[in-house]
Order: sequence, then C-alpha cells, then structure tokens
Amino acid sequence: MTEMRIVGNVGNLPTTTFGHRSMAWWGTVGFIVIEGTTLFICAVCYLYIKQNFPTWPPEHILRPSLIAPAVQATLMLVSNVPMVIVDRAARRLDVATVRAGMMIMCLFVVVMCFLRVLEFQALNVRWDSSAYGSVAWATVVAHATLLVVETAETFVLTALVYSPRLEQRDVSAVSDNALYWYFMTGAWIPLAALVFLSPYLM
Amino acid sequence: MSTTLPPRAVPEPGRAPESVAELIPHLEETWKQPPGLWAWLRSVDHKSIGIRTMVTALIFFLLGGLEAATMRAQLARPENTVLGPDAYNQFFTMHGTTMMFLFAVPVMQGLGLYLVPLMVGTRNVSFPRLNAYGYWVYLIGGAFLYVMFLLNTGPDTGWFSYVPLAGPEYAPGKRVDVWAQTITFTEISSLVTATALIVTVFKNRAPGMTLNRIPLFVWAMLVQSFMVLFAMPWVATASQLLAMDRLVGTHFFNQAEGGDPILWQHLFWFFGHPEVYIIAVPGLGIVSSIVATSTRRPVFGYPAMVLSLVATGFLAFGLWVHHMFATGLPQLGESFFSAASMMIAIPTGVQIFCWIATIWAGRPRFTVPFLWVLGFVVVFIIGGFSGVMVASVALDQQVHDTYFVVAHLHYVLLGGAVFPLFGAFYHWFPKMTGRMLSDRLGRWQFWLFLLGVNLTFFPMHQLGLDGMPRRVYTYLPEAGWGRLNLLATVGAVTIAVSVVLLLINVIRSLRTGAPAGENPWGGETLEWATTSAPRPYNFPLIPVVNARSPLWEETGPLRGVAGLRTDVCDVLVTTLLDAEPDNRHRHPPPTIWPLVAALATGVTFITLIFTPWGAVIGFPLLFLGFFGWAWPHGRDHREQLSIEAERPVEAGP
Amino acid sequence: MSVLQQLDSFPGRHSALDPGGPQAALIRDRLWDPMYATAVVTFVLVVAALMWAVFRRRSPGEESDDPRREPVMRRAVGLAAAVTVVVLFVFLVADVAAGRVVTATPGDDAIQIRVIGHQWWWEVQYRDSLPQRWVATANEIHVPVGRPVVLELRSTDVIHSFWPPSLTAKRDLIPGRVNSLWLQADTAGEFRGMCAEFCGHQHAKMAFIIVAEPAASFARWLAQQRDTAGTPQDSLTRRGQEVFLGSQCPMCHAIAGTPAGSRVGPDLTHLGSRRTLAAGTLPNTRGNLAGWVVNPQRIKPGAKMPPNALSPDDLQALLAYLETLR
Repeated sequence: MTEMRIVGNVGNLPTTTFGHRSMAWWGTVGFIVIEGTTLFICAVCYLYIKQNFPTWPPEHILRPSLIAPAVQATLMLVSNVPMVIVDRAARRLDVATVRAGMMIMCLFVVVMCFLRVLEFQALNVRWDSSAYGSVAWATVVAHATLLVVETAETFVLTALVYSPRLEQRDVSAVSDNALYWYFMTGAWIPLAALVFLSPYLM
Repeated sequence: MSTTLPPRAVPEPGRAPESVAELIPHLEETWKQPPGLWAWLRSVDHKSIGIRTMVTALIFFLLGGLEAATMRAQLARPENTVLGPDAYNQFFTMHGTTMMFLFAVPVMQGLGLYLVPLMVGTRNVSFPRLNAYGYWVYLIGGAFLYVMFLLNTGPDTGWFSYVPLAGPEYAPGKRVDVWAQTITFTEISSLVTATALIVTVFKNRAPGMTLNRIPLFVWAMLVQSFMVLFAMPWVATASQLLAMDRLVGTHFFNQAEGGDPILWQHLFWFFGHPEVYIIAVPGLGIVSSIVATSTRRPVFGYPAMVLSLVATGFLAFGLWVHHMFATGLPQLGESFFSAASMMIAIPTGVQIFCWIATIWAGRPRFTVPFLWVLGFVVVFIIGGFSGVMVASVALDQQVHDTYFVVAHLHYVLLGGAVFPLFGAFYHWFPKMTGRMLSDRLGRWQFWLFLLGVNLTFFPMHQLGLDGMPRRVYTYLPEAGWGRLNLLATVGAVTIAVSVVLLLINVIRSLRTGAPAGENPWGGETLEWATTSAPRPYNFPLIPVVNARSPLWEETGPLRGVAGLRTDVCDVLVTTLLDAEPDNRHRHPPPTIWPLVAALATGVTFITLIFTPWGAVIGFPLLFLGFFGWAWPHGRDHREQLSIEAERPVEAGP
Repeated sequence: MSVLQQLDSFPGRHSALDPGGPQAALIRDRLWDPMYATAVVTFVLVVAALMWAVFRRRSPGEESDDPRREPVMRRAVGLAAAVTVVVLFVFLVADVAAGRVVTATPGDDAIQIRVIGHQWWWEVQYRDSLPQRWVATANEIHVPVGRPVVLELRSTDVIHSFWPPSLTAKRDLIPGRVNSLWLQADTAGEFRGMCAEFCGHQHAKMAFIIVAEPAASFARWLAQQRDTAGTPQDSLTRRGQEVFLGSQCPMCHAIAGTPAGSRVGPDLTHLGSRRTLAAGTLPNTRGNLAGWVVNPQRIKPGAKMPPNALSPDDLQALLAYLETLR
C-alpha cells in the first residue's frame, strides 16, 4: 500500500446537509434534467405535428374543455405554498411541522391524481384519433408519470417522517422532494397552456 | 489484520487517528466484499460494477462481431447464400444495435465507473445502489434482446429503425417492439450511470483537486455524462412513441393522420449524432491518459484540451440534420448543419495537435498502450477526413446510405473508441487485476487489428462511390463489387484473429501474468497511488492533492485526511469548484434491492411489449422494488433525530 | 427478345466517379477531387508529424516537460488549428456553391417525370396535359441526351431513395411528401441506379435503369410507349393473352388495351421493350422471364409477386405474348 501521511481531519464535518451541499440534491437535479428534457421533447413533438394541420384542433375534433385543467393548474401553483413551508421546516429540523405538512401534501397529491384523470377526459379527443390526439395525450401522459412517481414519493416520505427511527439525514430527503415538487408543478404550467390553451389561440 | 473487532473500537469522530495502519483493519471489515454469488448480486462497489459492465459489454462486442463476420461471409461473393434477406436484415440490425447500445456506450461507462472514483480520490461513485441498478437493467435489456433474436423475433429494420418501414403497417409482429424496449433498458442504464458519474466528479473529489486539476480522462467522462443526460431522452421518447404507434394506434409517424415519418428521423438523430460522440469522447480521454503516462509529461495545453472536450460536447448537438441531407429539407437549413458538421473537426483537431506536441516534447516509451494511441491517430483521422466529406451536402447526397458511410463510421468508431479502448485495457488491466497483459501478444494483436481494420473498411470507400448501397444482403456479379467485398471479408477475418488473440491474452494473463505492482507505467494520476487491484475502500485516507499530476509533482508520501468513520461506508463530500471538504456522507452497505428493482423494471417493460396493461402490472412491482431500496435499513443511533440535534446543521441555500 | 446490344451492357454505369451528367461531374470535380487530395496531403503531413514527434532523437539528459518548449508548441498547435479552420472554410464555401448548382431548378424545357416508389420496384409516369398521352412504365426511364429532366418523387409505402450515381445525387421518396430531383445525361448510354434507403426484404434488388438516347430516338420511344398493346397476331400469342387474363396476373398488372388495369404492380404494356426484369435484377431474356414468372420468390424472396404454376405449354404461350409487348 502506498504510504500516506495524515495532514488533516474531517471528523467534525456534518453528515446532514441540504441543498447543493447534499449529494442527494444533485441526484434530484439530475432526475429533473432528464425528465425536463423528456417533457420538452413532448412539447417539441406537439409543435412539430401542429404544422401538419391547417386548423388546430383538426376539423371535427372538439377543443379541450378548460375546467379541470384550470382547477389543476391552480391547485398545482397553490400547493407550492405548503411545500415551501415544509421545505423550510425540514431545513430547521422542525419535525413536527414537517409531519403535519407532509400529510397536507398527501392530500394535495391525491386530489391532483384525481384531477389528472379528469384532465384526460377534458382533452375531448382519443389518442388514436389523428396525430393531434396522439401528441396531446403523449404530453399529458409524460407529465402524469411525474405525478405518479411523486405520489408514491410523498406517501413514502410521510410514512418515513412519522417513523420513530427517523434519522437526521432522512429529513434532507424531504427538502429534495420539495425541489422535485417545484419542478413537477412548474413544468406543468407551460405544458398545460400548450395542450389546453393553444387550440383556442391558434 | 484482525478478523474480529471489539464492538465499538473505532476512532471516535474528532479524535485524530495516529497512523494509517490503525485504520486499515476497520476499513477492511467495513468495506469488505465477500466472495460468493449472493455477495456478488448485492455488491454496490464501483469497481465490481465497472468490471462486470465492461465484461458484459465485451461479450456483446464478441456477439456483434460474430454478426459482422456472418454478414461479411454473405457479402464475400455476389449472390451468396449464407444468409437470406430476412436473416440478413436481422443480422445487420442486431450488429448495429449491439455495437451501439450494448457495447460502445456501456464499455466506456464501465471504464469510467471503475476509474473516475479512483482518479478523483474517493471511495465509491456518488450513488452506489443506483449504479448497481443501472448494470442490472443493462444486463436484462441485452439478454432480452438476444433471447428474442434466438426466437426469430430479433429486430430487422436497422439500428435506426426508420418509419414507416418500422411502423405497424410494414413491420408486423413484435420485432420492432423488442428493439424499442431494448432501447428503453439501455437508456435507463446509461442515464443513471451518467448521473452517478457527474455527481461523483462534482462532489466527491479529493481536497485540493480544483477544477483545473481534474485529470483529462475525468473531464472526458464528465462531458460524456452530460451529453448522455441531454441526448438519451430523445431516443427513449422516440422509441416509446413508435411503440405506441404500433401497440395502441397513435399516429405520431403516420402521415395519413397528420403524423410525420420525418419526425422520427429528427428525434432519432437528435440523439443519434451526440451518441457517436458519447462513444468517442471517453476514447479521447483515454488517449490523454496514455499519452501523458507514456511520454512522461502532462498533456500539452490543458485548458485547450478541456475546452475542446466541452466544445465537442456542445457542437455534437448541432449536427443531427446531416443524417437527413437526402430527405429534401430546405437548402438553407442544410447549409447550417453542413457548417456545424465541419466545425466540429476543429476541437478534435486541436486535441490531436496537442497530443502530437506532447509526444514531441516528451520522451515516449513504446508500450503497447502507446501503440494503440498511434493506431488511434492514424485510423481516426481517416475517419475524420471522410467525415468532412460527408459534411458537405452535395457530396453526402452522393455517398449517403452507401458503403462510403459504412467505411466512415467504422473508421471513426473503431479509431476513436476501440483503439483507445484496447489501449485502455493494456494500460489499466494491471491496475484492475494486479497482473500485466502479455506484451508480445499485445503487439501481435495491435498490428493484426490495424491491418484488419484497414483491409476491411478502406475498400468500402470505393464500393460506396461505385454505387453499392448499405444494407443490401447481396449484389449482382455484374456490378463489379466482388473483389473489394472479398478483400473486406479477408480483413474481417484478420480482425477476428486479432480479437481472439486479445481473449487469449486476457485469459492467460489473469492466471500467469507478471505481477504489476502499484504503478507499473509510472503514471501520474491517483489511481496509481494505491494497490493493484485497489482495496474495496480504494485509499486508506482520502488523498489531498495540489497539482494536476499528483504522483509526479508531489514529493514524499501521498498526503491524506483522516476523520471519516471506519465503521460505516463514510465518504467525503467537497465543494464543487475548489474541492474543499464540506460534509460527510454515508454510503449504503451491499443490498439486493437494486437487483429486485431492476427485475421489476424488466417485467414492466417486457410486458408492455405485449399489452399496455404492463404498466398496471409493473407499477406495484416497481413500487415494491424501490420501496425496499429506499426505506432505511438499520439505524445508526448517532444519526437519529432527537428534539435537540447533536450539532447544529447549516442549511444550504 | 430484346437484347442489350446497342448500348452499354448490363448493368449500366453506376459510379459517382464516372459521371455522365453535369451534377455528378460537378460533385466529383469540385468536391470529391479537391477533398480527396486535401485528405491525402493532410494525412501524410499529420502522420509525418506524429512519426517525427515519436522518433525524433532526444539528447540523453533532456527533460520531458521542459518549459522552454512551451512557446514553440503553442505556436505550432495554433498554426495547425488556424490552417484547419481555413481549409474547412474553403470546403464549406465550395460545398454551398456546389449545392446551389446541383439544386437549381432547370429551365422550362425540362422533361417532367413522376417516379413512385413501391416495395420493391419503381413506377414511372410520363405525364402530359392530355391524359391519353400519359406513359406508365416501370423500372426504366428514358431521357433525351443533353436535356434536363425533373423527377417528381413519391412513395406509396415506405421511404425509398432514388440514386443514379453516374448522373446525380440521391433524393428520398417519402410517403406523404413530394420531393424533386433534376438530372441530365450528357452522353448516350445506360445508367444504373439503386434504391438507397433500406426499405425491406428486397431493398438490395430494387434497381432502375436510365437510358439516355438522342432526341429523335427518345421521341420514338415515347411515342411507342404511348400506344396500347397490339392485339396478338397468331394463335400462340392469342393463347398467351388468354393465359395472362385468366391467371392471377391481372390482379396486379395492367396491359393497356386489355381488360387488365390494376396498378398494384408494374405496368406490362411495353414489357418487351424493357432491358431488365424485376427492377434491374435480371436482363430481360426469355429464360429469365420464364424463371421470374414461374417463381419470383427464388429470385427476390419476399417480393409481393406470388409464384405461378403454369403448364409448359401455357408458359411458352405466355412468354410469346409478353415478348410482343414492345
């Protein structure tokens, strides 16, 4: 073994960190980049296909209904408020607030899933009914996978923060999850505008 | 080293250990990799995962080579009967898919997984379980493809699977769906590996390894990993859109309903062009390592080298339309892509000039790795010249989809990736195994391979100009292509012999190769500062560096920091730019859950080929797999949360 | 039976380095030749530099990273990079200029031909303002020497690519789109092209012939192609026509002047005047035609044409009839 000489000691460094100091945060960012690219690709396909049609939506296809999407978009934006509160509480290691807040996020995410089903119906077109239907569904399905993953993540994290054997570093996961939440809700706004509003504007 | 340790006899945090020797027994115990299959299935060690990735990739290389050999046998004579059209179509599709997705990218990522943590001075990649998961998904995907191939359901529409030929109307059955899901597996694997590598380089570097002290190979893997992040989603999405057109009746590529076959080409090539640089860029990193070590001086022009790698990474995303020059796109757009395609030759050229300058100024040693570097230059620049030719729109419109392109792509891929890769084997095999590969066999292998590659692929330039298109299972005797095709087949046999020599060399040297010692080549980077093979914990202390070539520029024993716990897999997390120690992170012990999650992933995507209900079946399995993975096992009383935290934690921004 | 006696032999000129028209000539002369020459010179220079760098004699005490060498190296690398940039820029300019010429639309005297790609044959239509003057043929295109020809390229199924290397560069035939390609033959002769986009089982045997002939002979050919098929003059050929109409042939093939009018497969009205069979796969001889009719799957496995079990007498009659379709 090569000889090594001790020139310092890092034993006092913390083991729980938040934000860019934490490796898991970077992993979350990586995941966001990958999924964000995928959502961007769906939007690109949507706009590309749109060029093939003189009217949008194509003839004989109804425009999407706007109620469910409007409610969902509002809910997504609003949900960031408790998420920020939970995020800040996590960074303070304020477990009580985190626990209560995660329960609220569970409620939010369940309602969002329910609204997502309504949003599919609001498209007013089947996925196999012209390329218009296909790209509209593809965009909403792609985002729906984020929602499904986030639903599982929210419930599991809530269970974790209630566990008596909770460790400090698990609290950092709550903060990483908040970052993902901001991404999921933020990415939906332009996509929803594209899929639900552009048939009215073009 | 003691085999039983008193329960809490570990250095307390904050108490300075007095010597390295004191740490070693505890590190050996904590990081141990027991023998046996069960331990192997649960391993999360980057070296173990890296080696198994490379070995798996090499097996696929051999399979892809067998496919190529069969194709060359068929084409050796006009109107030959070795393979009929249906079989030939499956063979060339399998060859391309295997080489591009199952060999070239994974082997480079595997090499990176092995070397990057060692070169940056840490103990594991940033996400060990994710890394293991990535390997299993890759293995499942590749095995799945070959099982289906053996069941006569191998894909047969080319490795880039153009629609409408690959669509529901003209490609009935499940062959193309098998291809599409193989993409999914390999893409997931590459993406998670890339993520792990990026975060390792960003956050786990040795204290003092500022950005401008990072080895060029690590820069290459970093650039490559970013390229993977931004390129792979395009092919993943495209393959899912194709799968949906085939399975559930969508119309993304169906022009009769407003879809567009050209959309497929844009999506695929937006991935496909960066893909070839994803394969070549690590090769460029390998060349830098070997040139430096072999010439006994650092590569000349470090900033230019790094900027060239980064520029190549960016530019690679702006070229894709050059694969579509024959589709009738507007000329102005084509000119832009022609310019960009020529421009990317500049950063690559700069790197070659810097290497030549390095060799000139240094004192080269004619080791086998160095021979491979010389071979790389010769073969790769030929590919570069034909590349500039096909960058020209009008000339490309003559040679596109002909054997000229087959020649070009093999020159750049063999030259830019396989020559450096074989050099890497000879260079780092001693580090990985503790034994040297045979020098004599290595030289025979090199010369045969160099000869074989040129014999096989140089004639193909002429064949393409002479009118021979790609992907043809046979040709007329009157076309006049017989002689050059026969020559190419002779070259292919030469390549095969060379590869057999490599196999013999590896197998023999594993048993009876000369012992390597820690640093047989006199290398300058951190991987040479530890045992061959490295211990599971890589270094007893996290090294501290203050130079680009630490083993050359620093005198005396290598410096390191103590203080990491030795009873758990503790690693150091440093800051992004200056690599200052910032916090500590506990890596997980070996676990079976990544394999379970990978199996769940496999079941999901394979079932999806046959029914959309695969998503419904798969979701609970995936949930279980990832839940088992993520739910904390074992508790560490020191980390448990109490109302009064043990020490205040600075919240990051 | 027509044998290829007057012009070049089967299969025709088919090399980008053997141009027979202005575009292929331009690409070879203004792009290929200079780029190839530059590549050879650059290769020699780079390899020479590499060899010199490797083998240069070093004095015994020489330092491997002597800092005094740095300025020389910087200048050398900089110079090499600058030369690379200049050379690439010159190529880019040459490329754009060549592209302009190759794609510039020819004048009004161009002949318009529509080519429709099928798995695995080429439908060729010479259209006209009067529908009865349209010509429908397959796998063989006649053009007058020295006159530009504009091809309108379409596909009915998958993507194909039309490529006659001795005349011009390729262009894809994409379903749902119309592409256009112009070419011109400057000398008389036969020019072979192949499909250059993988299109399925018989992509390898989807070729076509462009026959360039003097204007008068082209006009004669076109007039002849406009005629319907002649009525059979003797009992053998009459029997052959009955065999044709009574078998499965009319399901896919048309012969103008008979009830057979299907457009699924190649039009056979002037089959006898064509030089090749099965999209350039075989010379058009009686023996080859017999083999093709009886079992196309032996020649092009996977082709859409089924085998035809005919008695020897029926087959001879059919062949005699088909030979009259000039």
